[in-house]
Formats: sequence, C-alpha cells, structure tokens
Amino acid sequence: MEKIKISKGFTTPLAGMPDIGIIELSDPRTLGLSAMDVPHIRAKLMVKEGDRVQTGAPLFYDKRDKSVQYVSPGTGVIQKIVYGERRRLHEVVISLEGAEDFVEFDPISLSALGEVSRQVLVERLKQGGMWQALRQFPAMDTADASHTPSMIIVSLSGNDPFSPDPGVVFEREQTALHFGLEVLKRLSDRIVVTVREGSLERLGKVKSSVTHTVPDIYPAWNPGAVLYHLKKDSAENSSWCIAADHLVMMARFLMTGRYPTQKIITVTRGREHRPHILTRQGAPVKALIGDFIDRSLITTGRFNGRIVEPDDHLGFFENTLNLIDTPDGEELLGFIRPGKAKATVSKTFLSCLFPEPKEVDCTRHGEVRACINCSYCEKICPNDLMPNFIMKALLSDEIENALECGLLDCCQCGLCSYACPSKIELAQILRHGMDALYKDKQ
Amino acid sequence: MNPIKKIFDLTEPHFTGSGRFARIEPLFDAAKTVFFFPSPVNRVMPFIRDNLDLKRYMTFVLVALVPVILFGIYNTGLQSGIARGQQLDVVAAILLGVRYVLPIIVVSYVVGFFWEILFAVVRKHKISEGFFVTGMLFPLTLPATIPLWQVALGISFGVVMGKEVFGGTGRNILNPALTARAFIFFSYPVSMSGNVWIAGTNGVDAVSSATALATTGVDGGTITQALSQAGFSLTNLFWGFVPGSIGETSALCCLLGGAFLVITRIGNFRIIAGGIIGLVATSLAFYLVPGNASTWGHAGPLYHLCAGGFLFGICFMATDPVSAPGTNPGRWMFGFLIGFLTVVIRVVNPAFVEGTMLAILFMNVFSALLDHGVVKYKSSKRIPNV
Repeated sequence: MEKIKISKGFTTPLAGMPDIGIIELSDPRTLGLSAMDVPHIRAKLMVKEGDRVQTGAPLFYDKRDKSVQYVSPGTGVIQKIVYGERRRLHEVVISLEGAEDFVEFDPISLSALGEVSRQVLVERLKQGGMWQALRQFPAMDTADASHTPSMIIVSLSGNDPFSPDPGVVFEREQTALHFGLEVLKRLSDRIVVTVREGSLERLGKVKSSVTHTVPDIYPAWNPGAVLYHLKKDSAENSSWCIAADHLVMMARFLMTGRYPTQKIITVTRGREHRPHILTRQGAPVKALIGDFIDRSLITTGRFNGRIVEPDDHLGFFENTLNLIDTPDGEELLGFIRPGKAKATVSKTFLSCLFPEPKEVDCTRHGEVRACINCSYCEKICPNDLMPNFIMKALLSDEIENALECGLLDCCQCGLCSYACPSKIELAQILRHGMDALYKDKQ
Repeated sequence: MNPIKKIFDLTEPHFTGSGRFARIEPLFDAAKTVFFFPSPVNRVMPFIRDNLDLKRYMTFVLVALVPVILFGIYNTGLQSGIARGQQLDVVAAILLGVRYVLPIIVVSYVVGFFWEILFAVVRKHKISEGFFVTGMLFPLTLPATIPLWQVALGISFGVVMGKEVFGGTGRNILNPALTARAFIFFSYPVSMSGNVWIAGTNGVDAVSSATALATTGVDGGTITQALSQAGFSLTNLFWGFVPGSIGETSALCCLLGGAFLVITRIGNFRIIAGGIIGLVATSLAFYLVPGNASTWGHAGPLYHLCAGGFLFGICFMATDPVSAPGTNPGRWMFGFLIGFLTVVIRVVNPAFVEGTMLAILFMNVFSALLDHGVVKYKSSKRIPNV
C-alpha cells in the first residue's frame, strides 16, 4: 500500500459528521432516474408517461452513443417525465407497483469471467445500465469503450468530506469488490484503489484490495487529484475512474444478472450526527432528508454537486445529501467582527485558533470584486494549479495559455471558489472553459 | 429590528430603481454594505464559501496601520514641540500632531472618495474597498508640512491615473498611493525635500530638519558619527523619534504592522522577507567595499533598515497584492529587488536620497514580467494535458 502525499486542500473540521450506524428505509412510493447528475449527456427518452417498466429496463439513452443506456431503478409505471430549462430532461419518475420484476441477464461467475471476451463484457455493462459508472478524464465523460486506459482509479471514498464511510459500505461487499476489480483488470493493466487514511481502520478485509492511501484532506480522494499526483506522462491523462460503490454494483449486476438497486447514502447537517441510510437507487429526496426546513439548501455535496429540490430524486452518481442552513439576516459590521466560530482558510478570524468543528452556511459572505492576486486559490488547489491565472486566460479567450497552465488538470473540487476573498466563481469559470473546449473537440 | 437597518431600509427606495437619487446608488450601496454584508445564497458549486471577503481583507491593512498612524501623530507633535523649544507631554504632543496630520488624512479621503464615487457612478459599478487603504497610506508618506491642496492634487492623480484609468482596484499596475506620492515628489519637490519634515517651524531659527538619509559625514568623519551627532542614532531611528514623513519614522511600528499582516496572511511574508534580505545583502556589499566612509554606502545594513521609509514601504506598499507578483517565486524576487534597488538608489544616486518609493514603483512595472517567467517555468514542468 503506497501513500500519496497531498498537502494542499481543505483542512477545516466541519460539524455534522455522520454516524457509523445504518438505518434501512422501507421502499419509497416513487423512484427517479435523474439526468442532471450525468455530465455531458444528451439524453433521448425511450419511454413515455404511463408506460410500465421492469427494474433494469432502459428509460433513456445517450444520443452521442446509443448503446449507453440508463435503466429504471424499479418496477412500476412512468408517473412523470420532468423537463428542466431549455427542455433538458431533468428526471423520469416511476411510481412503484406490485412485486419487483427484473430484466434478466445470464449471470457470470468469477471463474467464468476469464472466458468472457472484453467486447461481450462491455456490451453487457452498457445494456445493463452500468457502463456509465466508468468515467474518462479529463472531461469526466462516459468512458470510451474503444480506448484502453493506462490506469483506472477506484475511489472508496465519495466526493464530499462526509460521503458514506467505506468501512460501512463495503463491510459485506468484499466478494463483489474483488469481482469488480477482476472485471476492471480486463479493461486496463493498472488498477489503482484509493482510500482515505482515516477510513482505513474500519475497512476490514477490503483493506487488502487497497493500493494507495491518501490523507484526510478534502479532496485528496478525488480521482482527479489522485491522477494528478500519480501520473508520469501525458498518455495517462485519459485514464478512467469509477467510484467503488458503482464497482460493487457492476459486480453484483454481472454476478446475478439483475440490476442492483440498493445504495448507502449519508444525509448530513451541522450539529447533527445522522446514521448512514440504506435505501434504493433513485430514492426521493423528501423521504431521505426527514423533517425539512425550507430555509436551508439541499445539495448533493458541499463543494461539488448540485442543488436538489425536495421533490427531486437522488441521481445515479450521488450518495450524499447536505442540508446547509441559510443564516437569518445580514450581520451588522460583519467584516470586522472577531469571528470565533467562522469557518475560514485565512488567518483573519479568531476561529483559526480553535480546532473544534465549524458550522457552515450556504451564503456567499461578501460581494464580487476584481481579482487582487492574493493567491488564496493557489494555496488551496490540490493539483498545484494557479486558478487566478487560468481564470484570467479564459476570460481573455487565451485558451492556449489556460491549457498550458494546466486547465485540464482541474479536478473541479470547488476549493478555489471556496477560498476566494473576491468571491469570483473560479470553479465555474474553469469548468465552463473545460466544457467548451471539450464540446469543441467532439 | 436593528435601527441602522431601519434607516437603510427606509432610504433605499430613493437610491434604487426610479428613485430621486438613483444616480448615486453606488454611494448608498457602499454605505449600506459597510454596515451589512451582502450575503446571497450560493446557487453554483461550491455551496459553502469562506468567511473572508475583500472588505475584511482591506480593513486588516488599516488595523495593521494603527500603530504607525498613532505614532506618526505623536511624533509630528513631538518634533514640532522640540523645534519650538517646548517639552511637550504625550497628550499635548498628540493634540498638536492631530492638528497637523488629521487635515491631511481627511483631505486625502474626501478627495479620493470623490473620484472613487465619480468613477463608480459613471461606470455603474461598486465602490471598491481598496481605497480605504490607499487613502490612508498616501498621507502617511507625506511630510506634515505639505500644503493641503497638494494632498488633494496628489490623491487625485494617484486614484485617477494610478488606478481608475486601468479599471479600478485589482486592475492597476502601480500602487496608487505611491503613484500619488511620486506625483507630488516630482511636481512639487520643494514641499518634499529640505527643511519640510518638521511641522510648525515657521519663524523658528536654527532648526536643522533634513532627514537621516540627507545626512553625510563631514570632515572625513564616518557616516555613523555624523548621524548620531545629528540626532539620528540607531536607537532613535528604530523607535522613530526623528523627523520624516508622518508614517515612516518608526521602524518598530512598521515592523509591528508588518508582523500583523504576515500573521494574518494579508501581506505576503515572501515580499517582506525578500525585501529585507535584498536590502541587507546589498548594503553589506557596499559596506565591504573600501572607500569614502562618509557616505551612506558605509552606513551598514541596520541604518539602511531603520532610516527612511524602507520598512514602511516594504511592509505596506510592496505587499499590495494587486501591484505585486501573483506567484511565490515572483514575490521573492520582487521583494529582493526592491531591497537591492533601494540601497542602490540611496547610495549611488545623489539626486534622490530616498530610494524606496522609486524601487517599489519600478518593480511594480516589472511584476507582470516576473509572473510571466514563473508561470512559463511552472508550465514547462507540467505533464502536458491537452
């Protein structure tokens, strides 16, 4: 097991660490398949409202690659198809009915795995709605099956500081994880399995599968950050990554021939220690968050994710919900208060002397100003980028300069925007730059 | 409800939309945001944000300046008293100092804010808090005897030509406060050199009031002897009980402010450390060259550090993040070269006894080049990703 040394990142302790216990939720009345958490997708619907679908039946596909299908997480009737802005597909809602009925595939055993060709394996995963779990750098688009990546990074920890604890999630999944890793070995020669040092202890037998540990600094476990610190030459830039819970799902799907529907998620909120929740893929947000106070923002990650409404459903890639409070009003002379409990990476608040966990809220804490070159963004970027210089290059349309400064090495952790005292949306500007470039190249 | 909040809520309709004073909305907005932070909910990732903002950032520079301001006021009164042959106690010295210093600060702020507001109104953008710092730094670099109309002219030039023509705070190339001072320095040299450093000496005879840097050894004596004879002993220079610009005399107060900036990470320690290293190394090099011991070339590093405005400049002016380089190696070089140039100008150039201002402005111009070099070098070390 190797250690990856990453020293820059978000180190402030936050309040709201989830409990290690698990509670199981009974089946909700509706399930949803969201298209909003899938980057770059151009979804094309295959069903209409009122259709009956089985668990594992395709609901929409990606227009750019018709073989990549997104499948129903449950059996029932299509209750509603929700569109967002510009008629973009938001989600397909299924109301659950009667007994679970699966689309069946032939199971593959571990010993038989060697005999299945790579092409068959890929086709099976695409049909079963599992292929999209593999993402390709740098744009994090669905992995290109015709490409053999030089590395596949498996991350046991999620995208948030309080994502489900790998110890809890993979306790009973050792066989599946092992099977999944064997599948990945058919796709690439090098498999990197990473976990946070803090989660290592509870990992049990799964520990033997881990190849690299990363420090407990957000976002050290982000595959983008791991890739940046591991890569030796530019061929590795187009490596793939997958979250370990998806790998387990992939393995379960191949082993049983049925779409796996279970998922462990965390719901976090300052001051509260809620247990992990065992629920279904695509469960409704309302059922997960419990008592809901309308003044807070619900997101699928503090730094990285999207805002969800209580009526939405959890996406395929998401396994955490954050309830972030909105404070009551504007603070009188807030800019000069000592700030004993304020979360900050700077040393301008008294709170930097107190190590206890800080509560955070979802407001911006200031007005947008021009960049003053203070380098707070550079100081916190895990991938040694200088977001301020890249931002200026992008805003002046100097795309070559931005690329030279490492635009595509950005892992979109959002820390630059977090730290910026001028409140510039650095992460968003960088992301738009990357996306525009990617779209252009396609 | 908070009474201050009430006032703002009541008056807001007049300043926004089709209100009577809608044209000066930036002014209202600036006043309101001083009291109440605007804090909209984040709609794009990341959904949580750091509590530090630019208002706090700039305010902390003012906090760092407090010792310098207070001592500057006291010393102005004290020096004026000594020149008149009076022994003033602390309170009397401060009161006298306030009489000379306060009008300069007030003029600087009022005139500077006029230009800030004018540009904000015309361009319909927010009033930036960067001026809080500029408006205070500029008066501190002036002698207490400066005519107030020159203060007004200087800050106008600094704000308009040094900052607003480039687009405002964050986009300027030169430090606006130093631009303002340079304007006065070159346009009205009589007000900035010779016997101008002690206030209220009109009609008083036999007062030598040049600064330490204008001193040279006489009759083959060393510079250090000449300095202590003129009252510029190292201790005096360190504490600051000498004539000079309002804010620059006390090395101790500048160091306190600098330490505060470094600890709170508002000022970058690399610039300050680089500057001190540059100054010490260069002055040592001059010190070791044999030659005429009566010039500042042989004053040694400690005198160079404590005399003149070097510490004030390197702690408060050079650390201005906007006009300094944005890369760490760039900052080291920037600081070092300021220290180097300061000594070179002081020693080699007889026309300007104080080199700090010129050194910083000169390096401001080059900071983009330093950054360019560092960024190119860093990019060349990167594994290409296109």
